[in-house]
Amino acid sequence: MRGCGDAGTRAHIHASIPPAALSPRAALPSPMNLARLMAAAAGARGRACAWPPGRSREPPRAAEAGAMAAYLTHQQKVLRLYKKSLRHLESWCIYRDKYRYFACLLRERFDKNKDVKDMVKATELLRAGEEEFWATQHPQPYIFPDSPGGTSYERYECYKVPEWCLDFWHPSEKAMYPDYFAKREQWKKLQRESWDKEIKQLEEETPADGPKTEALPPARKEGHLPPLWWHYVTRPREMPM
Amino acid sequence: MEPALLINTLMILTLLVILTPILLPLLSKTMKTTPTLITHTTKTAFIISLAPMSLFMWTNTESITSYWELKFIMTFKIPLSFKFDQYSMMFFPIALLVTWSILQFATWYMHLEPHITKFFSYLSMFLIAMLTLTAANNMFLLFIGWEGVGIMSFMLIGWWYGRADANTAALQAVLYNRIGDIGLILTMAWLALTSNTWEMQTCPTHMQTLPLLGLILAATGKSAQFGLHPWLPAAMEGPTPVSALLHSSTMVVAGIFLLIRTHYMLETNQLALTLCLCLGALSTLFAATCALTQNDIKKIIAFSTSSQLGLMMVTIGLNLPQLAFLHISTHAFFKAMLFLCSGSIIHNLNGEQDIRKMGNLQKMLPTTTSCFTIGNLALMGTPFLAGFYSKDVIIENLNTSYLNTWALLLTLLATAFTATYSMRMTLMVQTGQTRTNPAIMMDENNPSITQPLTRLTLGSIMAGLLITSYITPTSISPMTMPTLTKTAAMTTTMMGLILALELSTLTHNFYHPKQTPYMNFSSSLGYFNPLTHRLNITKLLNNSQKIATHLVDLSWYKKMGPEGLTDFQLKLTKTSTILHTGLIKTYLTSFALSTLIILSTQ
Repeated sequence: MRGCGDAGTRAHIHASIPPAALSPRAALPSPMNLARLMAAAAGARGRACAWPPGRSREPPRAAEAGAMAAYLTHQQKVLRLYKKSLRHLESWCIYRDKYRYFACLLRERFDKNKDVKDMVKATELLRAGEEEFWATQHPQPYIFPDSPGGTSYERYECYKVPEWCLDFWHPSEKAMYPDYFAKREQWKKLQRESWDKEIKQLEEETPADGPKTEALPPARKEGHLPPLWWHYVTRPREMPM
Repeated sequence: MEPALLINTLMILTLLVILTPILLPLLSKTMKTTPTLITHTTKTAFIISLAPMSLFMWTNTESITSYWELKFIMTFKIPLSFKFDQYSMMFFPIALLVTWSILQFATWYMHLEPHITKFFSYLSMFLIAMLTLTAANNMFLLFIGWEGVGIMSFMLIGWWYGRADANTAALQAVLYNRIGDIGLILTMAWLALTSNTWEMQTCPTHMQTLPLLGLILAATGKSAQFGLHPWLPAAMEGPTPVSALLHSSTMVVAGIFLLIRTHYMLETNQLALTLCLCLGALSTLFAATCALTQNDIKKIIAFSTSSQLGLMMVTIGLNLPQLAFLHISTHAFFKAMLFLCSGSIIHNLNGEQDIRKMGNLQKMLPTTTSCFTIGNLALMGTPFLAGFYSKDVIIENLNTSYLNTWALLLTLLATAFTATYSMRMTLMVQTGQTRTNPAIMMDENNPSITQPLTRLTLGSIMAGLLITSYITPTSISPMTMPTLTKTAAMTTTMMGLILALELSTLTHNFYHPKQTPYMNFSSSLGYFNPLTHRLNITKLLNNSQKIATHLVDLSWYKKMGPEGLTDFQLKLTKTSTILHTGLIKTYLTSFALSTLIILSTQ
């Protein structure tokens, strides 16, 4: 679930911001050109990305591909069950040939009921499948080290210092990296200027009873930056230096 | 020169040498601590500490020295008195060799860490606390070392404090150790009250059961015996050098070491000895059972440590402190080596700790896996490796003593399980198909890896032989016994090995594995954590809430004070109100009349 949300937002951001701007330590492009790049990107995409409109009286459009809805479809539930059971099967059957044998059997069981059109029967089958999964799950399923619950998860969180700490450096320390801090001042100025416009865009586009999804909209106008871009551009790196 | 003087000087010099990387940068402007500096300091300290050990071996000189007293007020002081006897003089070189190897390994393992110098300083401070604990002659200095190792354990387990699990594990370690500390403080208080001393020599030999129970509670907390054991597997959240140093060789043996130091108090009390025996037997079997189904390589070795600590407790229960110390010494070598091998494997596999995703590492990491095999063989008690000299003798003594059959059976079963999980670990990690990610670069050609491993391998092979050859035993081990009894340890180990081989063949068979009650018991660590953590804590918090609100607030402050008085008054008033009729005019008239009569008669 977490991954899906991130993929959705990342898709938005990647479409709107050139990749060079994503890592804070990379060569900072000139902030002036950035707005122009944003506008070009937004213009090229046109109104293809339709974030759920709020106060405008347009008819509701379909959510963008990759955006999460409030509920799971039957297909999503079945696929999640399949992936879960494959992973637990992998935890049980350690040797690859044995795993492949049982995985093929499992796949065949799923494929047998692939074309069931009656939703009631399909839901009953799904429920039976979930119960069977619960009964036969592995007590210590294999979790990848960097996944939630894994051994390396969040291991380097303590080294991820937020970017506002750079403002608290002593001037003598800042003098060691003059170019970087000069560029940083330009970026901060850009952020101050575009903040009001971002907030205005978000207020306009949020539905009256609250936002429907976590995905952020892209920039709509020429010269505007996507809302809350600073938060993503200045995110810390994954592994510490 | 006098051997006693030499011993005192050199041992104190060892302690001072280890203090230098921490103290000197505070006193000098230009000196900076570096990880290599701390490693070399520990190496120097190890070489210095070899001299007293050799002196002890050849001349059997022991010494007790009182150096200095840190006086706070007249009656409260910290006496720095050290006891350099067989145990401390043997332990110093072993602990320093293991620490030196681990520090050298950590220069490779932690080289990407931003705060690596802080890490090494913490390890160094831990080492100082541990050596203080070992050499302490009085209970107060021992307590200082005890608390020091506890605190450093907390800081090192929670080294990556951004991780929620690491913080939980560190807190768990501190809390469980604290419960053990209650026992130690109880004993210290009892000693201070009754015999007015904390020195080891002047403590009474015939003690009541209560202070001995305090000592056993302290050992249960620190050495992760059953009941206060969950912190040890959770402590694997810390980096591997921390697990290797603290939670396998040095810190966890502090509890057993305390019982060894105070064994002359224990040996007269049969209840305490039996309690040690049964507790140790239960711990060793429980930990070995839990290790059978674990899939995280560090957790398996952690449970193995817990099991061996139970075995040491069993030895204490048999009234054989010297044998327990021998097991501590040999265990330090091969357990630290197992952890370092696992660290090398984990780092080379980019953080993979699950043995289900390791295989065929024998071809890819030959040095590491060879040392791993030797360590596992030593752990299982293979004849003439280090573990054999201690483990086999313990089992022989167990078999030939007059004791609880249940304890004996549990210990033998645990010995078999030790062989089982070690074999399972070896088979899954080193042999078979490659189940790792095939696109990773494995490189163990760094001398920072190979040198510590070879050093500890040499120790695992030779330590048992060397220590038993040069140290005179204080008690005679049984010499005559039936052949079956003599080979009991080896037979149970072989049976465990055969069980492991059978289980691995079963894993290859094409049948779908299922959960079983036994497997679930072992997997969920005996259901101990959810049962005790929630139950005890909710009960405790509910009771304390009741005490705070009902007892203190309502009862003492209100009922015993104003409200109680109000109720009393109200009751009185209500009873007396119905006694009178309420005719005020009549009362006033009679009052006035009586006043007139009194005034007129004056």
